[in-house]
Amino acid sequence: MKLYRPATVLVGVLFVLLGGLTRLASPDQVYGDEDNLIIVHGTIGSKLEYGDATIEVTRMKFAKSYLPSSADDDDKPIETNGVYVALEWDTVRGTQNPTILNATLEADGGTVYTPAGETTGNGVEFADAGFGETGAVVFEVTPVDLKGLTLKLRPTQFYNVLAHAIDVDLGIPSEAVAQQFVEGATDQYVIPRPVQRVAQ
Amino acid sequence: MESLDDVIDAMIADRVIHRHRRTWLIAIAIVVILAAVIFFTGGWMEKEGRKVPTLTAPVTLTSGRYEYNFTKAEIVRTPKTKYEAAKAVLKVYFDAKNVDGEELTSHNVEGNLLRLIPGPGKDLVESNGADCRGVLGWELVYGLPSESCFTQFEIPADFTADVIEVGVLGERYVSDPSVLGANDQPYWHSEIADAVVRLKPTVVIDDGEDK
Repeated sequence: MKLYRPATVLVGVLFVLLGGLTRLASPDQVYGDEDNLIIVHGTIGSKLEYGDATIEVTRMKFAKSYLPSSADDDDKPIETNGVYVALEWDTVRGTQNPTILNATLEADGGTVYTPAGETTGNGVEFADAGFGETGAVVFEVTPVDLKGLTLKLRPTQFYNVLAHAIDVDLGIPSEAVAQQFVEGATDQYVIPRPVQRVAQ
Repeated sequence: MESLDDVIDAMIADRVIHRHRRTWLIAIAIVVILAAVIFFTGGWMEKEGRKVPTLTAPVTLTSGRYEYNFTKAEIVRTPKTKYEAAKAVLKVYFDAKNVDGEELTSHNVEGNLLRLIPGPGKDLVESNGADCRGVLGWELVYGLPSESCFTQFEIPADFTADVIEVGVLGERYVSDPSVLGANDQPYWHSEIADAVVRLKPTVVIDDGEDK
């Protein structure tokens, strides 16, 4: 039996070449999330496209304490050493199933805030195809680093798939504006229950 | 009077003695240096037993991305009722602060960072994470002052101890080896033991009534 037929050798050479191709990229490009991430920028109140779905941040509210939507009458509001930022969102799903988005807040000072413990989910959620959903996500933040606060919605990404992501500028251009927001914080914010509706 | 033979003999002897002198000196020097290096790097034998400091509460320590201030411990006993067997949990109270100067990111104290040391030869008991302000898995924000929290360990109902020991593990901000093709960006992972904290637990009976 002939072991090294030309076709066998050719397939072997092909595999070697394929392996070499993946090594042409440095680990940064293989694992990094910047090259194949399309980031849509927007502000509060603008409908942002996420695939064929849309996401809108409808309202931002500063609060000194919050109550989870599942709270009973005798539950005490959860307080903080800093301040809470509540963001209310409104999503409409298209026909595709959107990838789950994780929400973080990032400020100019470099601090990254993740959603507070007892909020619903880790970011924005989507209803079934053709339906819209509203909800809120609450972040605990420190009043000293709020300038340039941006909501970043990032999917859990596979490195070889083109992904969409969303940046929402929350409109805090300076420390003075941030201080006004912090001073005007309401005593208590009740997280609304997620509501689903038929999309228009 | 010396003969010429004697002189030549002495010269030859001199050469023989000096021929390997430098080699011997170098060999002895290497042995001395090796001994010094081993002595100052902690000895030849591997250290037995605990390699991290044992501290007594109340104590403040920084481990990984958190600063802890351990204050007290409680054994909370729930007596046997008509429907349920007696049970007990161990609560350890501490103040935690996020001091993650690398990523400046909010994060919660994970359960595997605090472990109860039941005694020699027994497996460590992982905690259930930090419960602050009544929220389990509280996200500690970088830049805010410390939160007072507690964590719970599952213990048998008849557990008693004068002194309990809690192992504190800290993550390290390192990258995976890029030689193996991994991303060389550092991140917080691979927790290792940083300290053991001793606390004197008080016994609390939980009879179901609000305090």
